[in-house]
Amino acid sequence: MRTTKLAFVAAAASLLAGCYPSERAPNWPVTQRQEPFKQLDAAMRHSAPPVADAVTFERIVRARSEPHNWLTYYGAYDGHRFSSLRQINTDNVARLRPAWTFQAVPIGIIPKHSEFTLEAAPIVVDGVMFLAGWDGYVWALDAATGEELWRYRHAIPLDTPLCCGNVNRGVAVARGKVFYSTPNGHLLALDARTGEPVWTKIWVDVRAGESSTMAPLIVKNMVIVGSSGAEYGVRGHIDAFDIDTGQRIWRRYGVPKPGEPGSETWGNEEAWQRGGGSAWITGSYDPALDLLYWNTSNPSPDFDGSPRPGDNLYTDSVLALDPNTGEIRWHYQFTPHDVWDYSGVNENILFEEGGRKLLAHFDKNGYLFVLDRQTGARVRIVRFYDRANWGRIDPATGAVSDRREPTREGIEICPGPAGAKEWPHATYSQQTGLLYTPVVDACATFRKFPMPFREGLSWHGGDFKVDRAQVHGGAVKAYRPDGTLVWEWRSRHPIVASLLSTAGGLVFVGTPDGIFIALDARSGRQVWQFRTGSGIHSNPVTYSVNGTQYIAVPTGAGGWMKGFSPELLGHERGGTLFAFSLADAASAGAQSSAGSPR
Amino acid sequence: MRSWRLAGALGLSAALLVLSACEYAGLFRPSVLGQVDPEMATLMNELPNLDEPNEAIIGRIYATGGASRAELGSDGIMRDRIRIPKDEYLWYPAVIIMPRGGTLELDITNEDHRLHAIFAASNGDRQIMSLPAATRGVIRVQLDQPGYYWFGCPVENHLGRGMLGLVLVKGEVPPEARLDRPPQPQAGNRRPPRAHH
Ligand SMILES: [Cu+2]
Repeated sequence: MRTTKLAFVAAAASLLAGCYPSERAPNWPVTQRQEPFKQLDAAMRHSAPPVADAVTFERIVRARSEPHNWLTYYGAYDGHRFSSLRQINTDNVARLRPAWTFQAVPIGIIPKHSEFTLEAAPIVVDGVMFLAGWDGYVWALDAATGEELWRYRHAIPLDTPLCCGNVNRGVAVARGKVFYSTPNGHLLALDARTGEPVWTKIWVDVRAGESSTMAPLIVKNMVIVGSSGAEYGVRGHIDAFDIDTGQRIWRRYGVPKPGEPGSETWGNEEAWQRGGGSAWITGSYDPALDLLYWNTSNPSPDFDGSPRPGDNLYTDSVLALDPNTGEIRWHYQFTPHDVWDYSGVNENILFEEGGRKLLAHFDKNGYLFVLDRQTGARVRIVRFYDRANWGRIDPATGAVSDRREPTREGIEICPGPAGAKEWPHATYSQQTGLLYTPVVDACATFRKFPMPFREGLSWHGGDFKVDRAQVHGGAVKAYRPDGTLVWEWRSRHPIVASLLSTAGGLVFVGTPDGIFIALDARSGRQVWQFRTGSGIHSNPVTYSVNGTQYIAVPTGAGGWMKGFSPELLGHERGGTLFAFSLADAASAGAQSSAGSPR
Repeated sequence: MRSWRLAGALGLSAALLVLSACEYAGLFRPSVLGQVDPEMATLMNELPNLDEPNEAIIGRIYATGGASRAELGSDGIMRDRIRIPKDEYLWYPAVIIMPRGGTLELDITNEDHRLHAIFAASNGDRQIMSLPAATRGVIRVQLDQPGYYWFGCPVENHLGRGMLGLVLVKGEVPPEARLDRPPQPQAGNRRPPRAHH
């Protein structure tokens, strides 16, 4: 009897013991101290010259007058991605060689390399390059040598709801600060000399499925950003913050509330709450008209239009915004009631024709739109993707007919959800007067099925598959702004890197299997190539330091490969920025020596 | 016989009392039981066998070491202690819960006979601290948003052998960053967040 009692007491005691840690850490003296990882790099200077102090809004407005710099995302507010530098030209481009490389190899827990891509447009200010990478990285580099001057890395939660890859398209620089938006939506103002944060502002709702991938834009005293996440049934928005304090000045939603203009295009009471319309590509700006042109992405859910009858404004649209208030001055919708994920976020190229201020936009839906940028009036619509069969846009009225929509069983539609042109940007050469666009020539089998909406979870309302047989390759196409095709250069794989045109008579293009190519801007003839070893899905730029012109291209394709280039999913990855210069120019000057004889 | 029954009842109630006073009681909540599907039960039953070198290490990674709530100090810093016991390649605890974003201070004791180190996500740059055999160190990290972050031991392949830890930051997105819309349907038994304004 007594033993039974004892057994129970013992059992209870052992249970009690199980409730609390049985061992405590020994009370040893603290001898070990932490270091930030970069402190273990004796090669890093941890500071950059104060070049950004003098970067003002006025200087960015006149960016064309300092072609040695690449001051803002597109090089200038006009979205041209054109440089008047001509040291590297059609006569000597054969001598183009790597001058230096910068390696940004991921360390740590990487579920899948293809999620990580260098997509940025490096910003270059008076010999210093500011680059953003995946997963919270920002670097300042010596633009002539590639030497790392400082590094900042924001800690990004592993469960950040990313749509299509762990990517970032770059930073903005002004008034001594580098502005960077982390994947989890922290807008950071970093001290451009040290990389230390000056202010931080949380501006996206990760719990609702929002994230951030674009490069901020400086306009006046504001830094302007647009949200990502239209695959998660969010309500997309564009926000403006005060450069100095980080205070929000305005927010403009891509989907109006009931009662606001445009709300009548949502034939369901609740659809606006999760209508999509994110704004994940940097806008263009016209300082003379004081209008900001910022585009919006697809409606949600992507492939099933039944929860959202109507045109679904302002998704897949260009919004002409008053930058002071965020008010919509005019809008133009490229794909009404989109059920193909033809996010209309691509760039707007601002140009003049016969004294008229126009805007050119190559849309994912396969059509080039030329609009009057003062009024939004349609000037012309040109189909640039012959295989497009999702519908037909009447060039005279802009009306869409013959819509071919996803079905329950699955149906092939062209282009696939990557569009005839993905986000990577077209260019306008001020030398040739031509527009050049990258082309993705791939179709997809689209299915739709009803899917209940759950906040924070992706909400496609269907799915898609791109078979190898549906990938027909890619192209660079050169158009006169009147819509005449001048030349077409075909590639084996879709082109998903931004184009760069220069006054050297060149157009630069990267392929998703890693070949960086120069084309003759007048003929489309290939005049140079270099195999970088890793796919290109980024924004090449050009600049010069001490009289030497460089072409810089971040490499390391990935991101949303299954959408635009499924045939390359197994291709080797990397994460290297290449800076090229002419063979004889590169060796000159700025390279500091690594050692000395004695 | 009677006293045997009495002893049994006493013992049982003692056991229940003890259980209700500790974390084990929580296991019987329906919300927890609902997550213990057959695969999970299999994993838990297999754990004693998995907990050996050259057996599948996966069972140890999050199932051993346990979770701990960091304590918020009067100076606004959250603190917790971690042990690295002998011959286990594990963090005790392996999951640190921060009540909100901010600064976390980890006081880590390496009781093992071999070198370990900690490599942890933190704003600005990852933080690294080496912990030679039988040493103790303190590391601070800055984590500012709800979500989970990882820390691990970068020595050899200790990360794969079990020295993978997580920091869970609890809390909500600040009101000014939330979408202007009514509360939305949630997955599973998640409760919709409070409406903002
Ligand atoms: Cu270790």
